[in-house]
Amino acid sequence: MSFSRRALLSVDWRLLAAAAGLAALGVLIIYSTSGMHASLLRRSLYLKQATWMVIGLFAMALLCLFPYRTTWHIAYLFYGVLLAALLLVALLGRTGMGAQRWLSIGSFAIQPSEFMKLSLILLLARYFEDRREQLNAPRVFIVPILLTLLPAALVLRQPDLGTAIMLLLISASILIMMGLKIRWFVLLGAVGSAITPVLWHYLHDYQKNRILVFLYPDMDPMGAGYHVAQSKIAVGSGGLIGKGWMAATQSQLNFLPENHTDFVFAGLAEQGGFFGSLCLLLIYAYLLSRGLRLARDAHDLFTMVTSFGIVSMFAWQVVINIGMVTGIMPVVGIPLPLLSYGGSSMLMNMLAIGLLLSIQKSRYQY
Amino acid sequence: MSREREFSNYFAPFQKRIRVAAVVISAAILILVLRLWALQILEGDHLLQLSLNNRLRLRPVEAPRGLILDRNGQLMVENLASFDLYATPEDMPDVEEVTRRLADILQSSPDELRQRVSQRQGSQLDAVLLRKGVDGRIVTAVEEQKIDLPGVSLQVRPVRTYPNGGSAATLLGYVAEVSQAQLKSKEFRDFRSGETMGQAGIERRYDAFVRGVDGGEQIEVDALGRVSRLIQQVEPQSGFNLHLTLDNRLQRVAEEALQGKSGALIAVHPSTGEILAMVSQPSYDPNQFSQHLTPEQWRKLAADPHHPMQNKGLQGQYAPGSIFKLVTALAALEKGAITPETTFACDGTFSLGSHLFHDWKKGGHGTLNLRQAIANSCNIYFYNTALKAGIGEITRVARELGLGAPSGLGLGSEARGVIPPKTTGSPEAGGWYPGNTVMAGIGQGMVTVTPIQAVMMVSAIANGGTLYRPWVVRKVETLDRELIEEYGPELVRKVNIDPDNLAIVREGMQAVVNEGTGSRAKIPGLRVAGKTGTAQVVENSGSQRGDKRDHAWFVAFAPADNPQIAIAVVVEHGGFGGQVAAPIAKSLLEAWFQLPREPASVEVAAPAAAEGD
Repeated sequence: MSFSRRALLSVDWRLLAAAAGLAALGVLIIYSTSGMHASLLRRSLYLKQATWMVIGLFAMALLCLFPYRTTWHIAYLFYGVLLAALLLVALLGRTGMGAQRWLSIGSFAIQPSEFMKLSLILLLARYFEDRREQLNAPRVFIVPILLTLLPAALVLRQPDLGTAIMLLLISASILIMMGLKIRWFVLLGAVGSAITPVLWHYLHDYQKNRILVFLYPDMDPMGAGYHVAQSKIAVGSGGLIGKGWMAATQSQLNFLPENHTDFVFAGLAEQGGFFGSLCLLLIYAYLLSRGLRLARDAHDLFTMVTSFGIVSMFAWQVVINIGMVTGIMPVVGIPLPLLSYGGSSMLMNMLAIGLLLSIQKSRYQY
Repeated sequence: MSREREFSNYFAPFQKRIRVAAVVISAAILILVLRLWALQILEGDHLLQLSLNNRLRLRPVEAPRGLILDRNGQLMVENLASFDLYATPEDMPDVEEVTRRLADILQSSPDELRQRVSQRQGSQLDAVLLRKGVDGRIVTAVEEQKIDLPGVSLQVRPVRTYPNGGSAATLLGYVAEVSQAQLKSKEFRDFRSGETMGQAGIERRYDAFVRGVDGGEQIEVDALGRVSRLIQQVEPQSGFNLHLTLDNRLQRVAEEALQGKSGALIAVHPSTGEILAMVSQPSYDPNQFSQHLTPEQWRKLAADPHHPMQNKGLQGQYAPGSIFKLVTALAALEKGAITPETTFACDGTFSLGSHLFHDWKKGGHGTLNLRQAIANSCNIYFYNTALKAGIGEITRVARELGLGAPSGLGLGSEARGVIPPKTTGSPEAGGWYPGNTVMAGIGQGMVTVTPIQAVMMVSAIANGGTLYRPWVVRKVETLDRELIEEYGPELVRKVNIDPDNLAIVREGMQAVVNEGTGSRAKIPGLRVAGKTGTAQVVENSGSQRGDKRDHAWFVAFAPADNPQIAIAVVVEHGGFGGQVAAPIAKSLLEAWFQLPREPASVEVAAPAAAEGD
């Protein structure tokens, strides 16, 4: 059928290859830095990550098959469901075996919040498209701000500072692109810092503690300051061309307890050196430039906001994560998109790329 | 054409801002590149040296576990300081030399030490644990010869201590290192090798509350491996304290009474389900696990025929013997098969088909009504009653009262006990015979119960028909007494048995103590209700190992009109329940009603003691 050939031709294969390549690279780094670990579980993580990559690629392909506009229809529903899921996590976290939840907070608690990033982008895209004639009135921004703060507060309460920050940054980027003046953010910040002590009052002691540890990583028992010192050594010791495959002594050892998630870049930089790091940044830059081009050439606000939102999500994560690993940004739990270990974030990032591909394809068809 | 221009005008400001964003992103990536340049090219050689010669060490500092206190705030589990000896081979310029010196101090072979040092697992930078809990002499010697022992260090560690030794040991549990097998399972993925955790009982179940958050020390070591600088220190956070419903004084009395025997005793508050005492004898000393458990000690514990590590109250399944007659009586009353006035004549034997069943008393009891039958535990009466009630109704009543199902205490794997199925096959199909019903009616044959089931059953009879879930942890508090979690009575069900029938059985139970088989539990001034049981031990394997005497049971509650405590005692191979188990329950009751007490934790306050003494 000529349709399928046209459809295949219209797929941006280079963008797809860049995304798949990044994910595969992530699996390789996780594999190559797991050798010395005592825990069998850690040693098998690369297999899980590979599984998630394949699942993600399928999801991406599936998304490509549907007409792009279907996402417009489900944008609000998607957001509503995820918000409910976040609420559920918050409630269960309270009534369940409190300390247990708090001690082992992690993988499953962050799942809905990860997808919330993408959902927020789609929500804002539809919202602004539906109100494209009213963008001059500042009050049109009130609802998006509230719809951002709500999930961000829930995520912060989990507590997952990194994802909460990401939600705020993604939303802020889109709002500024839509014409919200920067001075409004100053005002919002002032209001925010005024109500924080009130909210603080309602938290349990151990919740406060948890958030404090996030804000001041030095309070963390395992010492985030130690992580950064060690990760700088790992990155720097890679030199110009790196120590070579499987030779990342620094990242392999227990110096970096998070060496497969937030500090995965250190493993690449140690093995691949400056050269390898530069290649990685170039791939990200290519990916971002494709997205920015889609946003620039968009014929409708929904497409424009979606692609710009996805670009901002990737850009912020890359910059903050690598900045954190190289010691020029504070340590907050923000993973490197497509590379860091994590099932839900892999799936979410693949879906985001799938959206870009779908937008690209639909442009061809008009 | 004009539409096209309007269109591009509309998007123009957005496109301008997108271009600005592109510039900002490029700039940010450029900064990252410059940063990488600085780290990898400019500082590369220096950092490579550092990575080859990494001298930063992270040393975890174990958090003290929370305390465990009884209902009156008396300490049951605490922590004491202990010194552990560690070695870091990377920091030893000459492993031979250091291990030889160390062997002198420890008075052990240098070969064994060298082997331990070289035989490390996991991360290469964790120090190797050489000796746990070394004594004061070794601590002093190592400190004195520090200069000659590079790479050797002492660390202080809180050690779980049970001041009462084996008291309530199977209930409290013990603390030990996470095993290699546990480390491999997903449940334990957050645990480090060598980390300690609760391994049984309350310590295990409430580990997440009790464990606390470990701290850490970031230290720099010099070329000889000695700590040269403490870079950063994070204080460990102590775990949460547990307040139990247990009364330590009652617990001690109960243990005293069961001393030298093998068996279990449980005392609960019948109208809340709070556990007041829980004894399983013989016991073991959980302190052994906190320190270093030697292989011989472990072998001895594991091979002991009396299973000291087992909580017999939860895991021991025993034929209930005559305490099951309470169930049979209730079943017959429920079915309307008998009334309290129904009499049967007992001449010492009962024939069913070709089978002859005997009473425990030669010559029989004569003619008895229900009250007298319970009081004297007449087998013949209950053979008749069981047949009239039928196994279906007996099973229903047993299950209503919580038999045949775990009580829900939630500590470790609890045995279910055995209750005959509701629908039993016909004799023709090789299933249930009337003879089975007769045996079940007196608690023999295909019936077993655990002591916790027995005590919860008696509680339900005592409180007029409410089956509670037993519970032992009252509340969880932080060190600063901030409440984390609070627990209260929990209903399993309102028992579907006529309260009048329960009252009839309670009458019978009073008669047991006043004039019947349980008279050794009689206390002047206190109305005690009870039931004795003597469960035959079936030796079907032909093995003559151990004692063949019967298990002795006694269940009781008091005061009969306003129950404040319910007790179940079982003494393995103890003999007659009335002779062996009843006096144990008596001493416990005496102690309980003489003990000065704080007002009970839950709504049922205790004016009770008035009737005692």
